[in-house]
Amino acid sequence: MENKEKLLDHDYDGIKELDNPLPGWWLATFYGAIVFAAIYFFYYHIGNGPGPKEELAKGLAEFETMSAVGGSGKGIDVDKLNAFFHDSGRIKDGGAVFQLRCASCHGVNAEGNIGPNLTDKFWIHGDGSLAAIAKVVTEGVGDKGMPPWGAILKPDELYSVVAYVKTLKGSNPANGKAPQGNEVKD
Amino acid sequence: MTSEVKDIDIVQYDDDIVKKFAIATLIWGFVGMLVGIIVAIQLANWRFNFGLPWITFGRLRPLHTNAAIFAFAGNAIFAGIYHSSQRLLKTRLFSDALSNIHFWGWQLIIVSAALTLPFGFTVGKEYAELELPIKIAIAVIWVVFGVNFFGTIAKRREQHLYVAIWFYIATVITVAVLHIVNSVNIPVSILKSYPVYAGLQDGLVQWWYGHNAVAFFLTTPFLGLMYYYIPKAANRPVYSYRLSIVHFWSLVFIYIWAGPHHLLNTALPNWAQTLGMIFSLMLWAPSWGGMINGLLTLRGCWDKVRTDPILKFLAAAVTFYGMSTFEGPLLSIKSVNSLAHYTDWIIAHVHGGTLGWNGFMISGMLYYLVPRLWNTKLYSVKMANFHFWTGTLGIAIYMLSMWTAGITQGLMWRAVDASGHLVYPDFVETVMRIVPLYYVRAVGGTLYLVGYVVMMFNLFKTMANAPATQRSETVRAKPLTASFGEVAAEGGHRSIEGLPAIFTTLVVIAVLVASIISIVPTLMSPAYSDGMPAIRPYSALEIAGRDIYVREGCYLCHSQQIRTLPFDVLRYGPASTPEESMYDHPFQWGSKRIGPDLARVGKKYPDVWHYRHMMDPRTVTPNSIMPTYGWLEKSALDFDIIPKKLGVMKIVGVPYSDYQIQNGAVDAHHEAEQLAARLVEQGAPKGLEDKEIIALIAYLQALGQMSNKPAATTN
Repeated sequence: MENKEKLLDHDYDGIKELDNPLPGWWLATFYGAIVFAAIYFFYYHIGNGPGPKEELAKGLAEFETMSAVGGSGKGIDVDKLNAFFHDSGRIKDGGAVFQLRCASCHGVNAEGNIGPNLTDKFWIHGDGSLAAIAKVVTEGVGDKGMPPWGAILKPDELYSVVAYVKTLKGSNPANGKAPQGNEVKD
Repeated sequence: MTSEVKDIDIVQYDDDIVKKFAIATLIWGFVGMLVGIIVAIQLANWRFNFGLPWITFGRLRPLHTNAAIFAFAGNAIFAGIYHSSQRLLKTRLFSDALSNIHFWGWQLIIVSAALTLPFGFTVGKEYAELELPIKIAIAVIWVVFGVNFFGTIAKRREQHLYVAIWFYIATVITVAVLHIVNSVNIPVSILKSYPVYAGLQDGLVQWWYGHNAVAFFLTTPFLGLMYYYIPKAANRPVYSYRLSIVHFWSLVFIYIWAGPHHLLNTALPNWAQTLGMIFSLMLWAPSWGGMINGLLTLRGCWDKVRTDPILKFLAAAVTFYGMSTFEGPLLSIKSVNSLAHYTDWIIAHVHGGTLGWNGFMISGMLYYLVPRLWNTKLYSVKMANFHFWTGTLGIAIYMLSMWTAGITQGLMWRAVDASGHLVYPDFVETVMRIVPLYYVRAVGGTLYLVGYVVMMFNLFKTMANAPATQRSETVRAKPLTASFGEVAAEGGHRSIEGLPAIFTTLVVIAVLVASIISIVPTLMSPAYSDGMPAIRPYSALEIAGRDIYVREGCYLCHSQQIRTLPFDVLRYGPASTPEESMYDHPFQWGSKRIGPDLARVGKKYPDVWHYRHMMDPRTVTPNSIMPTYGWLEKSALDFDIIPKKLGVMKIVGVPYSDYQIQNGAVDAHHEAEQLAARLVEQGAPKGLEDKEIIALIAYLQALGQMSNKPAATTN
């Protein structure tokens, strides 16, 4: 096969060159890519192909639907919160979530650190009810640096940790941070 | 050096300069890779940052990339180009003086990079970190190289230019254009400057540069080297001259367009993203044209490849080139990119190219060059074979671990459960999963370096065994006699090969046309006129903090760009808009998420959270792998330079009033005192109001808070 190949009369420092044709499969990939590029460009930029904004909106809408089906929905289910508050298993789960997510700012015993003490009678946002705590945990408090956990915690985790926090009142841990906010009488 | 015997010249090549560049390659390669292993270990275990500013990851990583690219690969291509061009053009280099200015100038640039980057002097743009005076020196030395190279072509004794020379021409021209356009900065002080471009425009220029640095610094010169050293070492004719022509021109023209594939799914206009993607796909065949021509040249001598270490390295290098240039187009597909971008998959891809293609080409070339230049035999073939196998094993371990890490983390970032929630909402959880692979990667890199050190020993031994009297090679060659008309009459591609001025002009046209169409519309367009929401410029203190963010190389681990992807938006908030970085000189979109995106981190946490996080990230984020930044609460903030900074920002287009500029220091002090008081209230120590940490916290708390109009969720 080698013998049939034509050697050109090129000689560069002893390097010679053969006059082989371009491999067919190689040309096919080149032309294929060019045709694909043209079709892609026409579909997305001249035709009706969806742009990034539409595709993002579609993807986010899917998450919304899944979220609604998954049970948490938009609003806070106070009955479910109450049920969790009276379920010791859920409270225990909530404690685990608290250690993972909340303890770095509120302290291991919720005594307050970067964030406020959660064991006293004083509340900065809301009245310390299950619904009020759930609102703060879900939406966060942007100005104060409390992140919104609604999109991060799964519904059961969120309800459990809210129920757990509610049980902490009066636990009176060591090194408790000074009270902040308004006192809420029982 | 040239004496005439009738019409035959006796030419003595300048091999001394090639020897110098070869030795520099050997030394800088070791330095660059050693720093690479240090940063790899730092990622596996944060304690290896030792709490020392100048060896912390964010400062060492640019040293690794700059040393590997510009010092190791740079010196290697100068050695190879100077060696092969003289022989392909049958002439001594144009000027011994220019050759030496080139050599010593380049080494000086490398040393100044090593003396500035660890101390935080950086522009903050990847592979273009070096500050303005060094950038200018690079431009000057590159021009010296260009004059020397084209001067050599001008006095050649070979009418036609061989394909290797075509690739060298493309390299010399394009690197100059890229470097100069991406370096238009206005200085604040001798070692601090701001780019004139901002936000997405800066991003587009940067990645046009960054991608084409890969193209014209790590690809075209190496293809030229391949075209010389493979046929020489194998003693075989090049497979196809026609393929050389087609793949050269298509590569040079198409490569330039592909830069925006580094910015897929971002705030970059979609048409520019699409161009980046489709040109990357079209680049596949031109790249493989080079691989095919290299590998098929070795037909009929694969038995030699098994025994000759030179051919072994060259053949493996070309194979790695083929792998990387297949993977590159794949990664440029928007949907694949949505998984791979910001992950270690990209790191695997890059190192397949650098360790496999560049590193092995350089090794093969050095095994070829050193015995020939020093007129002796290689000290040990066995050692060279050992180098080959440890190197190959090292690359395999490196790439497999980083592929696994990248794909694992990419899948974790996008995992959403049936209730529409992220399965791994904690970023650190996705990091913990891949930390073991960071150790594996460090092992792979170390193996590669072990092989490299064996090569250094082998080659230095070879040099030591060389005969005492060394003489550069001489050759007899006829001067050129053909007239312009005669060469032009040959017709077709053959005539432009004989007419370097025309050849070079065509390369310039190819590169400039592609560059102009792909970047100028975005640079000229009023990109931010879309409703022009009120974005406020950074405050005096925030600007100071931003410079600390740049200095510490935060952008190397944290992106500031939430992509238009549902799972990105779910994790970080509304997609980033072009306006949000319109005052960012330089842009800080980043290219890697070793830590989470920071585009909307402002106001997410209390001020004191940031204070504690910077002092020791693990107090607020258990298992974080971020280094500690204790020095920020000790070092005093330079308030006096702030007016100067604001003044330069005004020159590059940020709307500060003269009043704001004049009062920059006073305003910053005022802001700092307020923030420090808040911090004390929240439990931080007193006395932070004149420390650097204050400015950094002010900047971080401003991220994502610059727009007065809430960003639409579906933006």
